[in-house]
Amino acid sequence: MTVNETTNPSAAEIDRSCCVPLLALFGGAALWLVVGSVLGLLASIKFHAPDFLANCAWLTYGRLQPAADDALLYGFCLPAGLGVALWLLARIGQTPIRGAIIPVVAANLWHLGVLAGLTGILMGDSTGFTWLEFPRGGSVPVFFAYLLLALWAMMIFAGRRPALRDALCPSQWFLVAALFWFPWIYSTANLFLIAGPVRGVAQAVIGWWFANNLLVVWTGLVGLGTALYFLPKLGGRPLQSHYLALFAFWTFILFATWCGIPSGAPVPVWMPTLSAAAIALLIVPLLAVFLVTWRTVRGSIKSNWNNTPFCFIGSGIDSFLLSGLMLMAMACPQISRVTNFTWFGPAETQLRLYGFFAMTMFGAAYHLLPRVVGIEFPFPKLARVHFWLSLLGIALLVAPLAIGGVVQGLKLQNPNVAFADTTKAMLPFLRVSTTGLLLMLLGNLLFFANVIGLTIRWKLALLKKFITFVKSPLETIEVRA
Amino acid sequence: MKNGFLIFLASLVVLGGSWCAFVLAPVLQLGGLKQTTVLNSSDVYPVGRPGEANQGLQVYRAEGCAACHTEQIQQSGVACDVVLTSVGTNETAVRKAFENGLKQNNWPLFMTQNFHKAGEPEMLLINVSKEIADAAVDTITAAGGKAEIHIIATGPDIARGWGRRHSVAEDYLYDNPVQLGSVRIGPDLADEGARSPDASWQLLHLYAPQSVVKGSAMPPYRYLFQIRQIGREPSPDALNLPKAFAPPSGYEVVPKATARELAAYLLSLRADVPLRDAPFSSR
Amino acid sequence: MSGEAKSNPPQPPASEPGIARSTVPVWIIVLTLMLLFLGMVYFDHHSGWFNPQIYGPYTSADQLESYQPKSGEAAMLAHGKARYDQVCGLCHGLDGLGKPGQTPPLAGSEWVNTRDFQRLARIPLEGVSGQLAVKGQAWSLSMPAMGAAMTDADLAGVLTYIRSSWGNQNGPVTAAAVKTVRAQLGLHPQPLTAEALKALPE
Repeated sequence: MTVNETTNPSAAEIDRSCCVPLLALFGGAALWLVVGSVLGLLASIKFHAPDFLANCAWLTYGRLQPAADDALLYGFCLPAGLGVALWLLARIGQTPIRGAIIPVVAANLWHLGVLAGLTGILMGDSTGFTWLEFPRGGSVPVFFAYLLLALWAMMIFAGRRPALRDALCPSQWFLVAALFWFPWIYSTANLFLIAGPVRGVAQAVIGWWFANNLLVVWTGLVGLGTALYFLPKLGGRPLQSHYLALFAFWTFILFATWCGIPSGAPVPVWMPTLSAAAIALLIVPLLAVFLVTWRTVRGSIKSNWNNTPFCFIGSGIDSFLLSGLMLMAMACPQISRVTNFTWFGPAETQLRLYGFFAMTMFGAAYHLLPRVVGIEFPFPKLARVHFWLSLLGIALLVAPLAIGGVVQGLKLQNPNVAFADTTKAMLPFLRVSTTGLLLMLLGNLLFFANVIGLTIRWKLALLKKFITFVKSPLETIEVRA
Repeated sequence: MKNGFLIFLASLVVLGGSWCAFVLAPVLQLGGLKQTTVLNSSDVYPVGRPGEANQGLQVYRAEGCAACHTEQIQQSGVACDVVLTSVGTNETAVRKAFENGLKQNNWPLFMTQNFHKAGEPEMLLINVSKEIADAAVDTITAAGGKAEIHIIATGPDIARGWGRRHSVAEDYLYDNPVQLGSVRIGPDLADEGARSPDASWQLLHLYAPQSVVKGSAMPPYRYLFQIRQIGREPSPDALNLPKAFAPPSGYEVVPKATARELAAYLLSLRADVPLRDAPFSSR
Repeated sequence: MSGEAKSNPPQPPASEPGIARSTVPVWIIVLTLMLLFLGMVYFDHHSGWFNPQIYGPYTSADQLESYQPKSGEAAMLAHGKARYDQVCGLCHGLDGLGKPGQTPPLAGSEWVNTRDFQRLARIPLEGVSGQLAVKGQAWSLSMPAMGAAMTDADLAGVLTYIRSSWGNQNGPVTAAAVKTVRAQLGLHPQPLTAEALKALPE
């Protein structure tokens, strides 16, 4: 490496520099994905047999479901998103990661924090706030690990090649904004709800604000940043267009950040009204994202039918748009009267977290991990099976829950229907959704197998290199006296 | 956009906006909330929870009850009932005036006079809007009688008996953490203490939900209880279980402290007094 | 990479995806502005303008005020009866007939059925002690100020109830009127003597 940096690092060099941090992040993420799927499946089975595992306090539904949700969000979504962000910023800025040991330490700290958090929830130490259930033993390591990883990503971004300094790619705006977003919302939520709790129902408002900004805005920013890089790249056509993507970015962060308060909440009515108005405005970024992605991939869908990362990310964008529409529906006063407090809300959340964000991360991982490690996946054909299992699984999870939610809501609206009948009416829908969860678990197991297999192969390759080095004869140089 | 700093500024401003609206403003408006008074009375609301019930809130949080139950009643509207309190000196004139009003203004008739039971207030109009109620009261007063307007909250939650009014911020004044819930896999609990004030029913329901609610999807919380041998005589706390759920003979089911606290908390959940923010006429 | 015109930002290298630079369609900007306007109208109609006392389904302070149940006479009577039974009924009897030798009756009493209630209000507010004649009978009274701790609304309800029950037929007493009477008393009113009571205007 010369001093004045006239040689630009090649793409392969950049990739190789990301190897260990990305493997650390994705390895743990894949594990938590499987753990979360197992916990979610167990929770779902309890609807069909309430006595199932009922004697164990650790596995009661009220602890299993939050643990499953947090394992998906904090265990898989956040580290995978950060890993992809690191790689994307490095590739777009054409700067390799330096001092990779720090992100690796941060990744391990993150996974330890998630372990502590999930154990805490199952033990009964949950904080009681949705999407913020990790006790202090989990939330503090997770927060500091995020700060380290975000700091490293910002250093990569700040160290981008001088020629690229003034013109940013759309993906860079989305990813850098996401890096700033999480520390603020997470620290605010922990300070105002757990460290020095505010009084009364203000807690609920801050909780809703946090959950919305994490689940809708942060995942949207990272997911869209990833998709807007990969769809043109994999589709082989340029992004259509820079200004439309900029417009989508601005309108998305402007409107989506206000969307959290549900209608009919026991808070002064101006809060749900603000959220409802913001959700109505959400149609604009949804339209903008639709236009950008459609114009970019139009014409290249057929030719990329067999490109698994492309399929993952494409269906991810479809799920983003659909979950956005579901969110808008839930804020309409006529519809919210029916869908409030039903399974429609969890269906939208699962569609967004798994159908959009996780699928986008799968696509990105299947593309970048082999390039980053320099070794092929052990079971490359299973990626296709994973895609179909995930797609079918999320469809079988979300559709019955959404339809069942509407049925449940219509029955709840009718005071002559006994409450027990509303739960009974949900059972056939829950059966289908449990099947969907099973399919998703199988798909996640395939992903886990591929990632762990890749890690093992990489470690074996390192071992081989080390052994060859030890075994190789020493070079002798003649020394002239 | 040209600059990383611009992205930072954009994020700061945008997130700052929603932070002001949904973090700062609620803390300012609701963070200093104090007790309020019950409508038309000098009683304060809410009254603090006894110690056992406060512990019960922590059990509620630890078991994740909010994953299936909500604690918020919603109200979709408000309506008026018109009640005749006095017929004055000329009953026929009053009733004629009311009937004329009915015909002329298309007021929805509630019940004929034959339905009216002696000793109960006579309802003239039910579930009507404020304008119609005011007009009816004016008509009756002009004819020499006296009528009153009763305010009622309307909505499916209220019709189901889950509460008398929508939940307001004061209902959660002493809750930490606030357990509003977001899905109704189980019924709403905001007024549970008024609906099921029996502690032994709550304990039975926790131990074996299917024994008291047929077809319940709620899991049994048997680990909150202790099955032990009956001593010299059965414990007064022992649950009175039906045969299908009872322990083997010689054993009894006794609630642990956590079960008792949770039951106390459920009994303390009430939202049945009218407030200024959520008015209704107490009968 | 040198020699690139400043106005034409450099495109990423071949391995990175290209970016086209077509403009944002105008209709989406028009849609945004329209929705912003409609959102503001919606907020204006439904939000109660940041008033922390207004919860859904109410949308304005005036609407909330109009739906406050007015303390109608029936409600006041009911409330007053409840309070009377709690506080006064122990001695004066739930039927207002008092206890012979201990407490004078209220039913048909000339001290209750006065044109105005000013004098009657001071009895629970200050208490009475001494010899008094009620309905032709002589009573030796030592009543504590049972109504001193009541709120104006409660005491008004009790007085309304006393003055319109058991055959008594008088109009209601408002809380504001009770407040006025209370304001006339000193900080620590002594119990009225029977003479002082007789001397008061009705």
